[in-house]
Amino acid sequence: MARVGVFVCFCGANIADFVDVPTVVEEAKKIREVKFAVDYKYMCSDPGQQMIRDAIVQYRLTSIVVAACSPRMHEKTFRKALSDAGMNPYLLEVANIREHSSWVHQKDKKAATEKAGDLVRMAVAKSIANEQLHEISVPVTKRALVIGGGIAGIQAALDIADAHIPVTLVERSPSIGGRMAQLDETFPTLDCSQCILTPKMVDVASHPYIELIPYSEVIELNGYVGNYKAKIRKKASYVNFKTCTGCGTCWQKCPVKVPNEYNMGIDKRKAIYTPFPQAVPNKPVIDAEHCTYLLKGKCGICAKFCEKGSIDFKMQDEVIEREIGAVVVATGYDLWDATPYEEYGVGRYKDIINSLEFERMVSANGPTGGLPIRPSDGKVPKTVVFIKCVGSRDKAKGIEFCSKICCMYTAKHAILLHHKVHDSRAYIFYMDIRAAGKGYEEFVNRAQVETGAVYLRGRVSKIYQKGEKLMVRGEDGQLGREVEVEADLVVLATAIIPYKTNPALAQLLGISYDKYGYLSEAHPKLRPVETAKAGIFLAGCTQAPKDIPDTVAQASACAAKVCGLFAGDTMKKDPMISTVNNEFCSGCQNCVQVCPYQAIVTEEIPLGHGAREMRTVAKINEGVCQGCGSCVAVCRSMAINLAGFTDPQIINEIVAI
Amino acid sequence: MKKVTYFPGCSAHGTSEEFDLTVKMVMKTLDVEMEEIPDWNCCGATSAHTMNESLAYALPLRNLVLAEKLSNDTMTIPCASCYQRLKATKVHMDEDPELAKKINTAVVGEGSYEGRVAVKSMLQYCYEDIGLEAIREKVTSPVSGMKLACYYGCLLTRPKAITRFDSPEYPMSMDKIVEALGAKAMPFDFKTECCGASFSISDTDVVLQLSGKILEMAKESGAHAIVVACPLCQSNLDMRQHDIEKKYKVKYDLPVFYLTQLMAMAFGFPKEKMMFGKHIIPVDSALAHIGEVIEEPKKPVKGKKAVQAESEVE
Repeated sequence: MARVGVFVCFCGANIADFVDVPTVVEEAKKIREVKFAVDYKYMCSDPGQQMIRDAIVQYRLTSIVVAACSPRMHEKTFRKALSDAGMNPYLLEVANIREHSSWVHQKDKKAATEKAGDLVRMAVAKSIANEQLHEISVPVTKRALVIGGGIAGIQAALDIADAHIPVTLVERSPSIGGRMAQLDETFPTLDCSQCILTPKMVDVASHPYIELIPYSEVIELNGYVGNYKAKIRKKASYVNFKTCTGCGTCWQKCPVKVPNEYNMGIDKRKAIYTPFPQAVPNKPVIDAEHCTYLLKGKCGICAKFCEKGSIDFKMQDEVIEREIGAVVVATGYDLWDATPYEEYGVGRYKDIINSLEFERMVSANGPTGGLPIRPSDGKVPKTVVFIKCVGSRDKAKGIEFCSKICCMYTAKHAILLHHKVHDSRAYIFYMDIRAAGKGYEEFVNRAQVETGAVYLRGRVSKIYQKGEKLMVRGEDGQLGREVEVEADLVVLATAIIPYKTNPALAQLLGISYDKYGYLSEAHPKLRPVETAKAGIFLAGCTQAPKDIPDTVAQASACAAKVCGLFAGDTMKKDPMISTVNNEFCSGCQNCVQVCPYQAIVTEEIPLGHGAREMRTVAKINEGVCQGCGSCVAVCRSMAINLAGFTDPQIINEIVAI
Repeated sequence: MKKVTYFPGCSAHGTSEEFDLTVKMVMKTLDVEMEEIPDWNCCGATSAHTMNESLAYALPLRNLVLAEKLSNDTMTIPCASCYQRLKATKVHMDEDPELAKKINTAVVGEGSYEGRVAVKSMLQYCYEDIGLEAIREKVTSPVSGMKLACYYGCLLTRPKAITRFDSPEYPMSMDKIVEALGAKAMPFDFKTECCGASFSISDTDVVLQLSGKILEMAKESGAHAIVVACPLCQSNLDMRQHDIEKKYKVKYDLPVFYLTQLMAMAFGFPKEKMMFGKHIIPVDSALAHIGEVIEEPKKPVKGKKAVQAESEVE
């Protein structure tokens, strides 16, 4: 005879305010098999768990029901309590009386209490039919795939590789480095971005545990945690990296000029190019969209001048495969296109630029040699207006969130402007100054005191041209009046948005993303690094706008998660998976079609004992099966059984109500 | 021949008679027959919609219901305020069933609203329904040589949620029409700035300041004149111009044309028929530019380097 213990949780006030917990306990005690029932304020706490452990021993219980929050929250906690008391952890049932009762029936305590009683009765009935189950071990491929070679991807790859775990780092552009490589100096210490980044880039290239695949994209991912298979398309670079020495003759001689992405289009690069002089790998690629030879079959100057004969116009895209156990996604950010701000004349005035364009101008290796200039006439600006929250925090223009880093980099820009043009003045229109971070508030103060930057709290309503100047009209909210600033240059701190291919990437990885294209973490507070899909992790601005310290921290957290995943030779997996009873299987393969994880294949077995004729039956890959139960529902011959949710268990539940 | 329902509004029968007159001339030339709504009433602009929301919808609604009794599927309105009120009512009636139910009772004697007729400003009708090509075809004496600043004011393209036509901040439809007439539309940043019309009587100083800024920027753009498609814009910029000049001790001398006056001229009507005598700022100085050749700034010649590079490719 079964001996069930019932433990009802108050969850502080979460359950107790809307469900009469003692009544639920009394109701539970009326069930014949319940030998012990009790309530407690926080069942998940250590004293709560101790009550369970003690009762198991004292009352010789054979299954346990915990009536508390969702099993997604604490099922693991309570299972652990069971096994600590020497009981099989799968003899636990959780009755979710919080999400399913107290939270949703706050207006009717009586009904909520009745429903909680029903949920407990069902759980008790089900637990009586629970069987002892044991965790499954699945082999793990100890190699990580990092998608994106910005600072997030670089940090994650280095940290994982330092633990002697092989990493494949895939970068879409010809060089790693990402956005950070475009920055001049970094807040709040003004250390040079290149100086702190390029050594890490070199480390990536030379690390024995890192395989760097630049100019490539992930195009397919199959499998499951610990056992993924990725397809990577290596875009044709038309340059043989093995023989190329990176001497630079080809791009000096190439006659085709293309707007330079690295410099935000301020100057031109060639059709054969490395993105920047410190590129890693420092090998050029040919931009097939602009190369005259590839477009028209003429030119070929680069090939003529290349002493090593490294140019190969016949090169094709190549698809390679890697077996991996975990993925870190670090695809970075883009700047929002401010064209919808028609009142600012974005697109009509050359002297309105975005913050990355300004960053490139003031950068020592930038197109202007570190001096900000007006794009219209090349003159050095004396009055520069910075406008924050362009796009960000502006529902009318479609983006509601705060881009987080603009307050800080605009303060930095004010300082850099002052360093480069001593007799200049910065005017900064802001909504709020959000300088939460170590040394950040001090940095903003420094910008105000040291450079005399004028901070004006208010929105800009219009920008118009008057002679050579741009007239910036806005509100000075603190003085409650309209102001107009005669500006030489206007810099817009436009919103940070995820890279445009994020939704497509999320779909091919099978993870979720929000309406802006940011990839979604599994839990906004407690699992900010994981995605809902096991074995896929997020680092950097692909998840939300972030500054460099936060990005690096998250990347290292990803590395810790990957290392943890790979700590053993096998991975433990819940035993709640489907099994096929070959006796009953008719081989109809309905289950094969409905399985969302491609976990079911078919196999041939002898028709009868010792028979030569074969018949087809379904076979479930226990590593892939996630226990969703779809196959059980479609199986016509009731041949499939889902452990933990067997027919007797379900029928017991139904009978109980 | 096209047919369109016409809602002239009160100003067309009074202060902006010349607008009404030239609209009719232009439409006739463009083979559009205009059918005035019989027994139309006040659109409720300014007073009604600041005092009483129900009345603000009920007044235009009666006009919309009357318009549906005619067979045309589009209505055009020269006055920007009238347009704004009728269009706003239409949008709210079409998209807010609660409001529609309530307001519909106000016009019960006239029938009920179906939402069959599109409401368009004169500018929008010319731009969308007639089209630049048809306008260009009718031009017999282009007004080339004139540099014009097109002023749209606040209501022709705003708010976007209501008007759903052109850009609310930097519209170009009127610019394109005047270019079709042969004139040069100057880049003009103040084309949708407030002229202060609402304070026309209560606080004239505000009008002088705001309209003054518009005139200043129009002058700065190099325009010979301003073009409008709204009676209130015209009267503020034209009538107040002397006061503005006096107050700020400047001289603008910028005539303010109705778009349709220029269209009619380009279509070959003699200038005597435009009622230019009603304008405060004489128009002759601007009209004198017709026929002048405007020198375009030279396009930069291809640099030596670029030429070299190309030859290298060959």
